[in-house]
Amino acid sequence: MTTTLGRPKFDFSKFPEGGLLAVIVVLGLLLAIFGGSVQLPKFQIGPDGKRERAMVTNAAGQQVPAFETVNKFFNARTLVQIAKDTSFFAIMAVGMTIVIITGGIDLSVGAIYALASVSGALILSPYGPSGGGTATVLGVVTTIGVGALLGFLNGAMITAFNVHPFIITLGTMAIYRGIAFVQTNGQSIGGFPDGFRAFVRWEWLPDLSMVPLVVMLLVTIAGGIFLAQTAIGRKVYAVGGNEVASRYSGIRVGWVKILAYTLTGLAAGIAAVLSLGYYGAGSSGDGQGYELNVIAAAVVGGASLIGGKGTALGALLGAVILQMISNGLVILNIPQNYSQIVIGLVVIAAVLLDQFNAVMAKRRLLVRTSAIKKEVASAAESAASSTK
Amino acid sequence: MAFLSVEHISKTFPGVKALDDVSVEFEKGTIHALMGENGAGKSTLGKIIAGVYTPDKGVIKLDGQEVKPTDPRIAQELGLAIVHQELAFCPNMTVAENLMLGSMPAKAGFVNWNKLRDRAKSLLLEIGSDIDPDTPLAQLTTGQEQMVQIASCVGTNAKMIIFDEPTSSLSTRESEHLFELMERLKERGVTMAYVSHRMDEIFRICDTITVLRDGKFVATEAIASTNRGRVIRQMVGHEVLTERPKYLDLQPGEEILRVENLTSTGKFQNVSFNVHRGEIVGMAGLVGAGRSETATAIFGLDRNAKGDIYIKGKKMSIGNVNEAMRRQIGFLPEDRKRAGLVLGMSISDNVSLPHIDHFSPLGFVDRKREMIEIEKLTKRLRVKAPSLDSITAGLSGGNQQKVALAKWLARTCDLLIVDEPTRGVDVGAKAEIYHLLDEVACQGVAILMISSELPEVMNLSRRILVLREGFLTGEVVRENFSQEALLHLMA
Repeated sequence: MTTTLGRPKFDFSKFPEGGLLAVIVVLGLLLAIFGGSVQLPKFQIGPDGKRERAMVTNAAGQQVPAFETVNKFFNARTLVQIAKDTSFFAIMAVGMTIVIITGGIDLSVGAIYALASVSGALILSPYGPSGGGTATVLGVVTTIGVGALLGFLNGAMITAFNVHPFIITLGTMAIYRGIAFVQTNGQSIGGFPDGFRAFVRWEWLPDLSMVPLVVMLLVTIAGGIFLAQTAIGRKVYAVGGNEVASRYSGIRVGWVKILAYTLTGLAAGIAAVLSLGYYGAGSSGDGQGYELNVIAAAVVGGASLIGGKGTALGALLGAVILQMISNGLVILNIPQNYSQIVIGLVVIAAVLLDQFNAVMAKRRLLVRTSAIKKEVASAAESAASSTK
Repeated sequence: MAFLSVEHISKTFPGVKALDDVSVEFEKGTIHALMGENGAGKSTLGKIIAGVYTPDKGVIKLDGQEVKPTDPRIAQELGLAIVHQELAFCPNMTVAENLMLGSMPAKAGFVNWNKLRDRAKSLLLEIGSDIDPDTPLAQLTTGQEQMVQIASCVGTNAKMIIFDEPTSSLSTRESEHLFELMERLKERGVTMAYVSHRMDEIFRICDTITVLRDGKFVATEAIASTNRGRVIRQMVGHEVLTERPKYLDLQPGEEILRVENLTSTGKFQNVSFNVHRGEIVGMAGLVGAGRSETATAIFGLDRNAKGDIYIKGKKMSIGNVNEAMRRQIGFLPEDRKRAGLVLGMSISDNVSLPHIDHFSPLGFVDRKREMIEIEKLTKRLRVKAPSLDSITAGLSGGNQQKVALAKWLARTCDLLIVDEPTRGVDVGAKAEIYHLLDEVACQGVAILMISSELPEVMNLSRRILVLREGFLTGEVVRENFSQEALLHLMA
């Protein structure tokens, strides 16, 4: 008798993002409960179809602006605000996760974001506010293209020189930002086509800016499909899990790595497009220090710096958690200065939790394996005794 | 009275009982074999004596006195040392520095380099080794590293040394050297425990044998009063048959692989041979003779190789793995943990790795088809694991090896190169792998098998190629197989 190898069934313990979702729910509840409420100006759509302040008549018979009392955290405006703030980091964290899965790291994402943004700005700016669709397309393609190209250069150098990605991207972090500075003389470049800005800033309801949110979700879905469903995605995990074994399995390790860095650059380019449209300007100082937030989001999201582990959804949720904490401190009236300390602690706590989880998973596996071993041994024994 | 005795030792690791109420007595100045399948608990027992692990229950008595070697340092002070595979040294430091790591001769905090070198040299001489103490450890062969470990044990005045599978990556010559050294240590009254899978060695050098199974004590017997069949029965409960492979009764087919004057500087020179469909060709030689290197070059992983490789009569370019795989070559590498498997990935992901593009029309993995094919394969190979989703790191050596082999059986291949297919695998899995290779050969695959175990190559091969120091020194056909003939060509 042999133990049959069943095909895998769905098992909740194999859904690693479950823990992150739980953390988000708990954080949300805490913020909703302890954040208290706030009075916000009330708006309404006037008879002319425009948005205007709602008025009420007070005791003295005067018309005064109306206010509404809402939960400080749990209201549409705050939630969308958090989502928008998250989107820049989350988009880059999805790319970063791919690189981290290969066992690498990209310290230059912030600089790629800046140089891509400046390059796009230099294309868009000459068209001015009256620029049309061609200008917009050209600007968007340039921004994303420059991001991807810079990522490709990272990957190509890492592969060709066989130098640790930490070193290469530490170098390109300075180089890329330096080029952005030289290009712009440190000036902020603005004055983009109105159509472009209006598109990125499009609001579904007043103050509910949805485009960054939607782009973030699309990037996460694309990243998730890439990693989990495609052959190249599988190779990404294999390269990070064991580079030598991957080579012995015929995987072109160098190209997989180059692709990973290119995709991270591409993600930084997409984030740069959103920032250009949303804030209306690009400068060489954009995204200063973003690399650390992005790496933190990926790590909180379950990516292992040793390689071989991580998911796109995890990256998104990791970014959401960090942003919720950062915004949450404001909601709780804790001085913003503390946010760095808290975020640092969260990163360490997340990694510790992950390690604990890995130990538990190993324990579960050992229990199952030893059960099988016993079964096999007893089968062997009974076979032996029957032949005697 | 025994020199060292362990009494009623139990040790549990998360989820698995590694040792369950085990008692063994080690007599002074003897070599005592610890045998058992993978996971039987023999290594765990060795590590408990050497203070690497602390037992949950039970006592250890040294000369009748209870001792508690709770960490390797305390064990060392008690004279209990271990020589094992995983290096306990710093690879970037020299041999001398490593040997003196615990007791650097120093004055006012500064190392006395001359004294350090002299002491290291005299230690190495004591065990009859001519290793230069100034060599960085990373430059030594595995065998030399082991010599350094032994020198270190002697240096700390070890009275008992545990050898944990010391020969599994040694060449025959290095093993011989090790055995001589063990004999000398024995004469000096050192007690030794010898953990190994290799029956030949145990029956040659050991005095006593203790068999463990599934963490439980089975028997302790004098070597003189037992035999292999009995030991194997004690280990697995059934006897492993070494029957004649069936493929030998079939006619080999056309030539699949022809290698002409294959050379890679510093590794092997002018190697020429061929392998036909439906036969197993063995490749014997000492470690460093260039066997694995030749195999690696045929599989396209050596860009510096020169010469000609023909697959089914058509020339293949050198140094291109992907072409080798397109030409239906499969390669089971020597070191499954380093090169054979991605240990952090599941069984199914590992098996499909070389063929992932094949399973992915349009770039998207067809999970369903992948699973169906892999399930068929793992059933045929009798891989024992909770599910196809199990991470390979948690499997036993034998099951890991089956998964590594399955990678190349997932699709038809014309040539299968297997490098040490049964290394570190328990007896039961070994027999299964032999059957499998035979079966695959019967199906018309050409197999090139590298192995350091002569009985293994001699039993399975139709012809044996022998390499020595990078040169092909001979080819022996089955009628002429004998240990003497092969050893003569090897050394």
